[in-house]
Amino acid sequence: MRVVVDHQACEANGVCEGIAPEIFQLDEDDNLHLLDQPGADSEERVRRAVRSCPKVALSLEGDRE
Amino acid sequence: MGSATVRLHDPDVYEQGVPHEFFDELRRADPVHWHPEDARGRGFWAVTRYQDVVAVSRDPDTFSSYRGTAMLADFDDEVIEMQRAMMVNMDPPSHTRQRNLVNRGFTPRMVGKLEDHIREVCHELVDDVARQPQADFVHDIAAQLPLAVIAELMGVPGEDRERLYDWSNRMIGFDDPEFQVEGSDGAAAATEIFAYAGELAQRRRAEPRDDIVTKMIQPDSNGDVLQDLEFNMFFVLLIVAGNETTRNAASGGMLALLEHPEQWQRIQQDRALVPSAVEEILRWVTPVMDFRRTATRDTVIGDQPVSAGDKVILFYPSANRDESVFDNPHTFDITREPNPHITFGGGGPHFCLGAHLARLELRVLFETLAERLPGIRLAGPVRRLRSNFINGIKEMPVQLWT
Repeated sequence: MRVVVDHQACEANGVCEGIAPEIFQLDEDDNLHLLDQPGADSEERVRRAVRSCPKVALSLEGDRE
Repeated sequence: MGSATVRLHDPDVYEQGVPHEFFDELRRADPVHWHPEDARGRGFWAVTRYQDVVAVSRDPDTFSSYRGTAMLADFDDEVIEMQRAMMVNMDPPSHTRQRNLVNRGFTPRMVGKLEDHIREVCHELVDDVARQPQADFVHDIAAQLPLAVIAELMGVPGEDRERLYDWSNRMIGFDDPEFQVEGSDGAAAATEIFAYAGELAQRRRAEPRDDIVTKMIQPDSNGDVLQDLEFNMFFVLLIVAGNETTRNAASGGMLALLEHPEQWQRIQQDRALVPSAVEEILRWVTPVMDFRRTATRDTVIGDQPVSAGDKVILFYPSANRDESVFDNPHTFDITREPNPHITFGGGGPHFCLGAHLARLELRVLFETLAERLPGIRLAGPVRRLRSNFINGIKEMPVQLWT
């Protein structure tokens, strides 16, 4: 499972960062960075972050849900 | 259907209150309900379940905000063309471009910088009314805060604030005779705001400042810039969307707390409860009750087939009381958790630009009220706005003591 960010759609709402701060981080200029790809321990939270993005800017690749 | 059909587009209905019983019934028995055409407007699909509102919101290719605008009311072609200059009535990709230009001013990081100013405004407002034995919570507190914040944000001088108040009342009060004086209906108000926005942009071009207006009329890092018409239209949108919404969340929230005094007491004793109370107020009040989409192709909403060109209305107050998402949805509970209300929209391109600003204003306001205004109670009848769009309160007399 890989997270993909649509930077055009991202508006730095920070919802993902609130849910999984070890994966998602906003910088000083409101750009979103992926610190890591989700491992087994963060998978559930990353799924929740993807679902919760109000701008639908996050998606999962190679996902066999 | 058990009870009589409620005319969901009739502003008279909402003057009495949101028709929650009818919405409950629709969600249960007829969740995507066909509302037939009548003298007031075209027929439409009333979308009442949470999951359906979310699905439609997140699919702008199938459900357009541009074709028939985002407003419940039916306009003639000329007005539709004008309305389309406003972001709320656009689809991607033109929406995306403009939205990215204005979003720079509304991220949590940018909005967070306003907290000290918002706190100052709240202290002033609350201390002023605390000196009076009686006040109108709507005019004296709830309306003043968002006005002051928008004025600060856009660099509108203090002496022009009352004009903003008048303009927003006239624009939103199009169905309420009290706010319509002869020759000055919503369209006239829009024209006045338009002219004012033009002057404001002109002044910032001549004398740039460190404010959002200056930022918006300067090119972004890609060299893209808001055109004059786009800026003026954004200003109109901001006056309406930034004012009435927060005002009515504040008034409706205070009313809910006065009706649930034990919960207001808990907040006064423990202000750490304010953030979750604000979320519940947002769910409970749902200041914006509906937006429109137009189907671009034959499709389904839930199990209901919908044809290309059909008018579709999303009812947020109903989604926010959907029992499949919220336990005891008709119970006001300031500690509700989780609380995934869709008061700011169901997600997607039109998710409320001002969500973080609204949350900040409401949090600081209720913190200030809890801290500085120990005694408050209703002192007269609450008068509701006649509107099928904004869940509004026009007047709420309160008695105050310290």
